Amino acid sequence: MIALGGKMIPCYTVQRNLACIQRTVDDKISIRGHFLPPRCPVTVCAQMQSDDGDLWEAFAHFNTNLDGTVNLTRDPSVGGSYLGCEPMGLLWGLQPAPGAREGLRLRKKKVETPYVMLMSLLKGHVSPSERPSTELAAVTAERWYMAPGVRRIEIRQKGVVGTLFLPPGPGPFPAMLDLWGMGGGLVEYRSALFASRGYASFSLAYIGHKDLPGPQNRINVGDPYFKSAFQLLQDHPQVYPDRIGIIGLSFGVYLTLRLANHSDIKPSCLICINGPAGSTIKLRDADDRTEQMENDQKYWTYDDQGNVSFRAVSLPANLSPESKVKLEHLTCPLMYIVGEDDLSASSIENANLIEETLSATGKSQLFTRLSYPGAGHLIEPPYTPNSRVSLWSVKPQKLATLWGGHLAPHAAAQEDSWKKILEFMETNLRH
Amino acid sequence: MDMKQHCVKLSVQPSRGLVDEKFTVLVQNLLPGFQLTIHALHQCEDGHSWEAFAHYTANATSIVNVSQDPSLGGTYSGVEPMGLLWSLRPVPGSKTGLRLRKMNVQTPMGVTISVYQGHQKEGFLDQVLLASVVVERWYMAPGVRRVPITEGRLTATLFLPSGPGPFPGLLDLWGWGGKLVEYRAALLASHGIASMALDYLTPKETGRMVDNDYFETAYRVLEQHPQILGSRIAMLGLSFGAGVTLRMAVYSKGLKLSCAVCINGSHVQPIDGPLEQIMTYFNKNVEKTRFDEDNQLICRDLMLPIPTDPSLKVDVGRLQCPLLLVVGEDDQNWPTYESAMDMREMMERAGNSHLLTVLSYKNAGHLIQPPFTPFTRASTFKSVTIPPFTMMALWGGELVAHSRTQEDAWRKTLVFLRENLYGDMKPGALFSNL
Repeated sequence: MIALGGKMIPCYTVQRNLACIQRTVDDKISIRGHFLPPRCPVTVCAQMQSDDGDLWEAFAHFNTNLDGTVNLTRDPSVGGSYLGCEPMGLLWGLQPAPGAREGLRLRKKKVETPYVMLMSLLKGHVSPSERPSTELAAVTAERWYMAPGVRRIEIRQKGVVGTLFLPPGPGPFPAMLDLWGMGGGLVEYRSALFASRGYASFSLAYIGHKDLPGPQNRINVGDPYFKSAFQLLQDHPQVYPDRIGIIGLSFGVYLTLRLANHSDIKPSCLICINGPAGSTIKLRDADDRTEQMENDQKYWTYDDQGNVSFRAVSLPANLSPESKVKLEHLTCPLMYIVGEDDLSASSIENANLIEETLSATGKSQLFTRLSYPGAGHLIEPPYTPNSRVSLWSVKPQKLATLWGGHLAPHAAAQEDSWKKILEFMETNLRH
Repeated sequence: MDMKQHCVKLSVQPSRGLVDEKFTVLVQNLLPGFQLTIHALHQCEDGHSWEAFAHYTANATSIVNVSQDPSLGGTYSGVEPMGLLWSLRPVPGSKTGLRLRKMNVQTPMGVTISVYQGHQKEGFLDQVLLASVVVERWYMAPGVRRVPITEGRLTATLFLPSGPGPFPGLLDLWGWGGKLVEYRAALLASHGIASMALDYLTPKETGRMVDNDYFETAYRVLEQHPQILGSRIAMLGLSFGAGVTLRMAVYSKGLKLSCAVCINGSHVQPIDGPLEQIMTYFNKNVEKTRFDEDNQLICRDLMLPIPTDPSLKVDVGRLQCPLLLVVGEDDQNWPTYESAMDMREMMERAGNSHLLTVLSYKNAGHLIQPPFTPFTRASTFKSVTIPPFTMMALWGGELVAHSRTQEDAWRKTLVFLRENLYGDMKPGALFSNL
């Protein structure tokens, strides 16, 4: 660099070229730099702010090619947030920036706005904190959960609390009921992506939402609630009533299986990710009260840092026998996705249990298992970072929970499983 | 044969992109032999609707891929990945003489792409719609900043690329229609060039036309901008703007251009005296304009034959920077081809023809615009003369050839600009300037 009257002028003008700068979150992007000196060290850095205002960043070190270019689809990272040739590594490798709050997990709350990412090209092999003094070029990329024309509709009907996403077009559409875990609230981003791929999708809240009855730390709804939600979808004028699938993650797996077990609920397919086939707590029905969740605590284990693992809670031996779903009555295809490093649920054991049950009743052709070494509990849509541990609760004391999963294999699992989920939906909901 | 709606899967990838990005339109899960129409609909800012459509028949693979499969008819035929955009035309019943131009570049152009059963030609709103998606086409990439410029009494908008800079700069001039037209400058900034769209024709308070100092002021604003490399500024002009570009490039002491791009313009103009004299010169020759059988105005003869009098042509033999001329050979508005040939001859005689690149396109008309811009062979045109007059101007060109030209010329223009604004900056040369 040379200085001229205080204004730094680079010895070369660098051009960044970001193909695909406005993309849906599950689309790949391509990042290239041109007009650089050959064989010289550069850093590519990604920074973005989450909906909560936390800064996340990732960086990778490269050496430019003989022709003065760097291309993330072609070149390996030699250091930084990830190693090797990983075109999407700057996305799934995002980590909270130094000085950030502890125990963060990246989740989009407002799906109607994109993630805005600043991708910078820095001189030398540096860290993002050195960006101001080394920045050569930058581009802004937007990552969207909702494709143009997708409609987001808040549903508060018949006591059911959720958000429906409809694809653009005349409809009717095949649909998905979308269930998450005990973290609660209303998680919309997976549904938004399904709608961006042409499926109506309904994210359902069942715990920890202000519009649900009763205390927020308990499940205060039971079978009738989930049946109403499924029927609500069936009755929607823009949904094909006989082309509805159910997807559940974590405790959502139990809810998925339980719902599909009703004789009058006939889903076209089920997708279960890292969850139990039974429960230690009873769901509420007309007369029973839900037991306190804290009864699970006897199965909690802790690591050296005091982080809790819920894994043993869902060990088949610890599940109450009467809660185990009668899979013998299953009539539709079931895909079970296992993160082999899942520290929050006994996924492998539950997958085995489900497979055994179905085999015993001559229904093994309905069962598909995807199993990913090194992947943790939170197998989510692709190209978002995994949190191996994150804050679970602040009362009565601050508690962080272990999810498991190592960065690169977990990212690979998300990418592969998403593709297979979409293919599975295609086969069972469109044909 | 009836198609079950739940099966048909329509996708357009990417669903959001820049206006010069290609997309892939894929229709899946069809039955072999199934006939369908793919339809594009866009409502522009002035409320008019534009549409394009094409007929396809699914083959044995039960997929229609617009990038690979031929259209059997419609507003385009054959294999045309982007035909749904460049063949957009006003829907039946629209008024005549329309031209599609986006004036607000901060919002995207929304296009609805739909699949209908059968080979349909009209009345789409009443047909069985199988699937539909929405595509957004942007002139501004994320992070590009739009900065209105009013200093020095300029009417201009500067578009800065995202990033720290500094960036090379560019002055962007349109033609006789005046007004502040921003979309090309916004798109150039999306490609890394800080570009200023400059309105130089809309009458100012003085009631007189601007002169050289107006462009020199615009140049200075770019040169002094903290995020622009003062030594790397280009000028790009279409139509009358091309003539102004040549004039400034050769005669202005205040401008030191790295390169110039002239699209469908001419060097023919009186060079002595103010810019206003050019208007007078054209008015003098106005009887040379003629009308075709559709009553569309052909202006190209105004400047023909190319004069031999040197006071009536910009002396391009004195040009010191690379020049790219983009020529639509069927330009009915300006004598672009003849002017380009004359310029080449002048530069060969003067010994600076190594600076000249000519891109000449058969059957392309006057309005060579960013790729996939819908083709307009003629449209209503309102001049900025006082009093203004409205006419149906014939631009020329043929749909397919013109559309191919826009794609090719844009790509080559970007390469030309990058090479001259980015490449081959020798560190040694920079040090010696200190």
